[in-house]
Amino acid sequence: MMGKTTLPEGFSELERFVPDWAVTHSADRAARRLDSTSEEREAFFYAANDLAAPALALLDSKPLAELDEAETRLMQLMLSLAHVALAVEIQGDDESRHAVGARHMTITRASADPR
Amino acid sequence: MANQAPQQVSLQDEAIANLGTGPIPAGPYYRADYFELEREAVFRRTWLQIAHLSELPEPGSFIVRRVDIARASILITRGRDGQLRAFHNVCTHRGTELVSEEAGRRSLFSCPYHMWTFSDDGELRSAPDFERFYVDKSSCSLPRVAVEVCAGLIFINLDPDTDQSLRDFLGPIAPQLEKLPVARATRFSEYTYEIKANWKLTYDNFQENYHLRFIHPRSGAAAVGSDNPFGYPVKFGFHGPHRTQTIWSNPEAAPKPFQGFAFGKALEAALMDGCEMALAKDYFAIFPNFFMLGSPMTPFSHCVIPIAPDRSRGVIRMYWIGEDRNASQRFAREYQMATARDVHAEDREVIEAGQRGLSSGALSHIHMQEQEVLCRHLFHSVDTMVNAYQAQKLAGGERV
Repeated sequence: MMGKTTLPEGFSELERFVPDWAVTHSADRAARRLDSTSEEREAFFYAANDLAAPALALLDSKPLAELDEAETRLMQLMLSLAHVALAVEIQGDDESRHAVGARHMTITRASADPR
Repeated sequence: MANQAPQQVSLQDEAIANLGTGPIPAGPYYRADYFELEREAVFRRTWLQIAHLSELPEPGSFIVRRVDIARASILITRGRDGQLRAFHNVCTHRGTELVSEEAGRRSLFSCPYHMWTFSDDGELRSAPDFERFYVDKSSCSLPRVAVEVCAGLIFINLDPDTDQSLRDFLGPIAPQLEKLPVARATRFSEYTYEIKANWKLTYDNFQENYHLRFIHPRSGAAAVGSDNPFGYPVKFGFHGPHRTQTIWSNPEAAPKPFQGFAFGKALEAALMDGCEMALAKDYFAIFPNFFMLGSPMTPFSHCVIPIAPDRSRGVIRMYWIGEDRNASQRFAREYQMATARDVHAEDREVIEAGQRGLSSGALSHIHMQEQEVLCRHLFHSVDTMVNAYQAQKLAGGERV
């Protein structure tokens, strides 16, 4: 990944999370949370946590339909962060137990999903 | 409101005085014969929430919904005149299910079997070689089903003889629903679950807070506190077969940092949508199997759909006003859906464990404490209808 920039300027710290967490559909983001290890979730959460406010501020500066590819990836990372934050910040070491029930909750439609 | 004390349930309250305090029979929560009675006495005779107006956005839109407990498939159309109509999704020739798609846009529906073709107002428009039949086309229209709308929520009533309007059915709850985001919603997020449990047992889990501290120690942390260790509601309301509760939340519970950031985004979005906060803590239980939370930040509905005596399906929707306005709102909607989903995910396992225990037949009765009065009220509402149906049957007045 060295030298390759797929995110807007200022967010290179999140570059290494793009392959796993820049996911198009909400159901896939929820599944990725359940299939990840606690180390993967924590690494993503602690790297992205402080960048959420500037990321959303940047993305809010234009209509969603006009986001370019790099901005779209950043948006997807923020949406994955929504799921991962619940695992790390709320569930903590209960996450693996929690995941048993979560696997039965099927997301069929989400506001963020492409139509 | 948040730091009000939980309500002490008064058994002298006229609305619940007849509910009693005794044990509740266990059979209705697993027995096949009781489920059969519910099919006829409740689900074929009352208004059922089935869809939302946003699913039929323009003339020509249609949806098809299966109502398993009534063994029915329902076609809902928005005609070229803009009017909403509902029909049994059954070709009047020889009973074939007419439409196989779940949703779409068209104004003519042709049966795949012999190409009888119906318009979106249910009339038989054409049928090949119809001269050889012994009936008029006018007597071959699709069977109508009563359909009405409140707060954007579409309800049907499978009773062909119903003389109760949806507004009469909902009573004082109707104007409150009209104030909620769902009334202006144009889209929704949705998640579903299958559960090996009776619909009432499943539904009851979501109308008592006694379990919160045990089943949701983390996701429900703000719902309990030292002043209210079980997170009991600050208020109950009873309106015919419907119930409401006003949820208590711990004024001292500080959100986690990221959670606070996300809630801030959700609140900002709700305020920009012009949502009222007055009903934000109110939880509406619409008989028989539908819930709606008043919160503009977490505007979810929850429908517990009966499939079999020990099997149900949950459908949870978050109703949103307008398209995602910007990245922050899109993020907030995702976070709020994921938050509600986390809470619901924690309930399923223990409800199924309850069903296994009940289905064993080991118990003749179960017990409900004062703060489980909403569960008691649901049982009594159902049982009253079942008893009335049985009495009517005995008197020879069963409707076919």
